[in-house]
Amino acid sequence: MSTNARPVGGKVVTPLFLALLGLAAVAGVLVGYRLFKGVGAITALTDAYSWGIWKPINVVTFTGIGAGAYGVGLLTYILNNGKYHPLVRPAVLVGAIGYSLGGASVMIDLGRWWGSVFLFYPPWYNFNSILLEVALCVLTYVGVLWVEVTPAILEQWSAGDSSKLKQLAARFQPRLQAALPFIIALAMLLPTMHQSSLGSLYLMAPTKVHPLWYTGWLPFLFLVSCLTMGFGSVTAVDILAGNVLPGRYRTHMKLLGGIARVAGWVSLFYVAFRLADLAWTGNLRFAFQLSVQMPFFWLEIALFAGSGLMFLSRGARADRGKLFTAAILSLLAGAAYRVDTYLVAYDGGPGATYFPSVGEIMVTVGLAALGVAAFLFLVKKLPILAIGETHS
Amino acid sequence: MTISRRTLLRTMAVGGAAGAVAAVAGPAEASQEAAPPVPADARGLLYDSTLCIGCQTCTVACQRANQMPVEKSVKIINGAPYDFPTDINADCRTVIKVHEKGDRWAFMKMQCMQCLEPSCTKACMLGSLQKQKYGVITWDGLRCTGCRYCQISCPYNVPKFQWDSALPRIIKCDLCLDRKDGKTGSACAEVCPRSAVIHGTRDELLATARKRLADSPNRYNAKIYGEHDGGGNQSMYLTAAGVEFTDLGLPDLGDTPPSRLAMSIQHTTYKGFIAPVALYVVAAVAIFRNMSSERKAHQDKGPEAHP
Repeated sequence: MSTNARPVGGKVVTPLFLALLGLAAVAGVLVGYRLFKGVGAITALTDAYSWGIWKPINVVTFTGIGAGAYGVGLLTYILNNGKYHPLVRPAVLVGAIGYSLGGASVMIDLGRWWGSVFLFYPPWYNFNSILLEVALCVLTYVGVLWVEVTPAILEQWSAGDSSKLKQLAARFQPRLQAALPFIIALAMLLPTMHQSSLGSLYLMAPTKVHPLWYTGWLPFLFLVSCLTMGFGSVTAVDILAGNVLPGRYRTHMKLLGGIARVAGWVSLFYVAFRLADLAWTGNLRFAFQLSVQMPFFWLEIALFAGSGLMFLSRGARADRGKLFTAAILSLLAGAAYRVDTYLVAYDGGPGATYFPSVGEIMVTVGLAALGVAAFLFLVKKLPILAIGETHS
Repeated sequence: MTISRRTLLRTMAVGGAAGAVAAVAGPAEASQEAAPPVPADARGLLYDSTLCIGCQTCTVACQRANQMPVEKSVKIINGAPYDFPTDINADCRTVIKVHEKGDRWAFMKMQCMQCLEPSCTKACMLGSLQKQKYGVITWDGLRCTGCRYCQISCPYNVPKFQWDSALPRIIKCDLCLDRKDGKTGSACAEVCPRSAVIHGTRDELLATARKRLADSPNRYNAKIYGEHDGGGNQSMYLTAAGVEFTDLGLPDLGDTPPSRLAMSIQHTTYKGFIAPVALYVVAAVAIFRNMSSERKAHQDKGPEAHP
């Protein structure tokens, strides 16, 4: 079998591309201002709400979207469903970009960002710190993801005109090929660790997190929902690539149908598990008591259940538009669960409130735009997307 | 093409293994863990809400001792001008607050509780916040990345962050550890005109509190907040009969440290790093086998094999 991936080609600088870079530039200016004036200068953060949207959206949702690499990797490499190969490269690229942006957001958010050099100094590690585990794991995984992108780069070099690059590619391709199983295994282990720990982080605040969200199963639920987000992102990217990008790229409806079935069952499992856990602990009653949190809880459940059922409907799986809707719903579901846990469910103290500032929103939008721009650029230059029919 | 139910279950089993192990094994472990012994030289404060007159001399002394700028902005509170901070903040490590409930009110001194089993020191990535001598938690700028996870973790919302600084610090009470060798140092206790806040070893403070409760049982709420709450604190509270500690804004933590569940789940999952290594080995073997069998099948059909 062959992945049959080709660079999409075509003009890089398009109006869309420039608009995306414009948004990224606005974020860049804001970040520059923040470097001199402090985190408070462009954010609405306070001592009561010291983590704002940059954590649940930029870090936890961007990496959730990037978890497509994890989800498809599990199906392809661990469960040996080789047919999903054509989806691996785009998923890995989205992952590499998403995780890099998540990492960049953390650096912007860190008040004393220069202190992060000591993340490379093990004698100071605090092994009680869940955040340290997340930081080291994500840091390593960003590197792993970009290594996973390199086969596409080497392939491009060996197909190119430069004899020097050809030589380089010929030298490194076999080595990379030999090392890949062990790198991919790392790419399976690390997300298992940090995606769950992104939920564990809030286990430390039992008195501040609303009982509809506080449970010992937080890590498990974050892990399960990162899979549904990952499958949703792979599906959405594949359909978008077929619609928007020039070239002969076609969506792989059969492959996506297979992914959709897994995503559907995992989503419904999530809903069942979440409700069962709440019923078991007796906290389900809060779902029927009027509070600020209650509607958010039901919205979250509705998004998971809705996307799950849609993924499982035969009609939706055969229709590109409907499948795309289901994929977007599953991304929104995962994002809602993350924002709810980190912000809606979080009680900063009496009278304390938080709503993101324009600056925070613009940085988030700008980073997302940068990610899309990077993806568009790279798929035009590198063999990421499979062109034409690949499997029967 | 089909994804069988079995495949699905396997997906979940692989994906969810770590989390499942964590959540199931975690709580079981928690009950077996014993609290670490309290060091004999652990020092703290005892604040008696019934003695405090709300004069804020402690706040002024604290700000002077720590070279903190004095807040000058005047707020209107209950129709009267007020020029003190209403809560601790990045310029203020201790403050007297007044809590009202119905027609009753009580004073409350806010500062770091110096927990016996603190959440902040467990949250802190590089050990910037650590217990130093006398069990006092101090902040080390070199090790701090400004992540503010200490703020998320602290059940009392004590650590404060300098939001408007390009070189921000975490500000919290360190019991004036650098002053007079930390033994008689706490500026707030030194100046209090009513001895509403006193400084001492935890044992001394507990003895004093118990004596007060025994001498005037009708005057006090019988509980010493911080004796057991959240695993126990080095700074503790007495309040008047009929006033609940939750009315003073102190959280109801029970007797276990608030970080207990998080720590037991985390440490069970990562015990000796065995589970991650095992998961890695299983994954690597599976991937290696799957990839080579695929390549073999592929070689029969034609060239080109890449991930």
